[in-house]
Amino acid sequence: MNAYHVMLVHFPIALWTTAFLLILARALSDAPLVRAAEGALTPLLAFGALTGALAFVVGLLVWPPEAVASSPLARNHVLLASWSLAYWTLLWLLRWRAGARAWEGMARWIMLVLAGLGVGLQTLTGTLGGYLAGNPSAVSDIVRKFGWEVFTTFYLPDWMLGVVVFAALILAGIGVAGSRASAGRAA
Amino acid sequence: MRHKFALAATVVFLAVLGLSWMFHGTGVVRNDLARNIYIPGELIMPLQVKAAFDGRNIYFRYRWPAREPHIYHDMLKYEGGKWVRIGRSVPGPQPQGIYEDRVTMLVDDGAVPEFEKYGGYITIGDRMRFFTGEAKAKEVQAHPYLGAKRKQAEVGKHLPETRSDIGRWQSVIAEDKLAAQRKAGYFLDLWHWRAHRSNPLDASDDQVIAEARYGDAGKGPFANNWDAKAERPQLMFDPDKNGGRAALRWEDLAERKLGFDDVYYLREDQAKPFDPNHAWKDGDVIPQRLLRAGDGSHADIKVHGKGRWQDGYWDVTLVRAMDTGNPLDDKMFLDRRVYTVAFAVHRDAYGSRWHYVSLPVRLGLNREGDLKAAEFSGDAPKWEQPWHEVKLFYPGQVSWPMLRSRMHAGASKIRQGVPVKFRHSEAQLAHYGVEMEFNDAIIRQWLLTLAAGVLLIVGFGVAVILLLRDKRSST
Repeated sequence: MNAYHVMLVHFPIALWTTAFLLILARALSDAPLVRAAEGALTPLLAFGALTGALAFVVGLLVWPPEAVASSPLARNHVLLASWSLAYWTLLWLLRWRAGARAWEGMARWIMLVLAGLGVGLQTLTGTLGGYLAGNPSAVSDIVRKFGWEVFTTFYLPDWMLGVVVFAALILAGIGVAGSRASAGRAA
Repeated sequence: MRHKFALAATVVFLAVLGLSWMFHGTGVVRNDLARNIYIPGELIMPLQVKAAFDGRNIYFRYRWPAREPHIYHDMLKYEGGKWVRIGRSVPGPQPQGIYEDRVTMLVDDGAVPEFEKYGGYITIGDRMRFFTGEAKAKEVQAHPYLGAKRKQAEVGKHLPETRSDIGRWQSVIAEDKLAAQRKAGYFLDLWHWRAHRSNPLDASDDQVIAEARYGDAGKGPFANNWDAKAERPQLMFDPDKNGGRAALRWEDLAERKLGFDDVYYLREDQAKPFDPNHAWKDGDVIPQRLLRAGDGSHADIKVHGKGRWQDGYWDVTLVRAMDTGNPLDDKMFLDRRVYTVAFAVHRDAYGSRWHYVSLPVRLGLNREGDLKAAEFSGDAPKWEQPWHEVKLFYPGQVSWPMLRSRMHAGASKIRQGVPVKFRHSEAQLAHYGVEMEFNDAIIRQWLLTLAAGVLLIVGFGVAVILLLRDKRSST
């Protein structure tokens, strides 16, 4: 399955990288050409999510589940791949639901921050995948300098897991509250 | 208004990401002596090696950093009328610092083919000593061969083909097959220098790894000085030969007052039978290990010059005949031949499995190799060649059965014969070794982290989608 996983990951990487470039251009420019190109963002992200999910599933079949669960590098790869997929899927849904509002005011900067984080996640995911396939790169040295030894599993202590779950609920609450406040104001 | 909420959501999201980055990897890895878990502060250390030969003898010179020399080991201290043992092997560092430094070298001539690819990993079997879940002494002693016949009380290093099932330490193959394996060279030669138990006599232990770790035939450089029945030492210092002293004093050991030129060890020719009527005082100390001149194959390896620690480094040179005449215990060295060696160092009062090990190193005698032995003539090597730098790492609890199992992603590569150094660096192996000691807990935490991260992204997604959704879709 390794060869098929390697083949499949080219698609989400290419699609998401192109999406990042479009978001970058659109965040920085309102030029007609950029606006027109940005129109391709939603299908790009949709195909990215689809092929990303496929590559993810095939990737899980490369090694026995016990081996994936017991290898720090494989654990990190799966973790980052899950987050990359979730992240870019969020961007797709966001762009789809927000439409042109995604580029109004500070929304465009949120889009840019999200896309930047997404491309960072996918780069790390790909780097660790390369490591697992026997092709290490210097990117892991950069990550190491920022405080994460990629040969150790990225996991959070219990209290921090609680913080994350609480923050997720707070975030959803902010969305609901903001939406209601805005609706009330419009009424 | 919506944008303010969106900004707040983004700030919360980024803040949690930042916190996660700060606190990742904490809360699981901690020392747990009850489970034989102690993680050294440093996972990597350097070792420098040189080798030389003159056609008759072969020399290995080792140099490694150590904050201080640990030359005391296994002491019997008189306390309240009893002799108490201080300095036995324990998980992690010996609390009073009473544990000797060591350097060891495994040697093979090609008869153990996996050794060239995987080094000492192949000697780590099922339920090894000081692993979590180690085989108990009673279990080993009850084994008809290892316990009853070979007097083993622990599962130590052994070679995989000495077992019919590498996942079961008990499955030792038949004795006649073991003997045939040994004759065919299926064993590793183990050079084992110890700062207390051999160095004061300018000697080294000489051992062999086959179905267990044994001393070579003959007498080793030390013996046990404990009378288990009487619960006291068998021998004491002879005051007539030790300036009137019958014992060491604990305060001298605790304050590290005794150095290389002092008597800190018990030598056979300086000892006499223990006298229970001597006026023993609290704090009197007698070493539990009796140093003696070895003989036979067991005494093949000597220290060349003096093994000494100076200015933060140990410098030890060992010498042995290239052909010892003991082919069942030793690997013979021949000019124009290559060998595989692997090194290990114990320091900082760590014993047992708390050592730093190397990956296999190719040694060449007038042949290409990672470490080239320099041929010389004259009385002693001149050591003009540069050091061969070796990176040693803490191996953690990683066994050969695990590496060959479905738990190891590289098991298929091992079956294909891919060498460990092709896939893993020493730093990687050190971190993997540590994580394996907490594997179940880390898997749990990793899965929860994965799920929590997705939940955070979903939460953020809900927020921004609600806040930024198109007016047309919200009406």
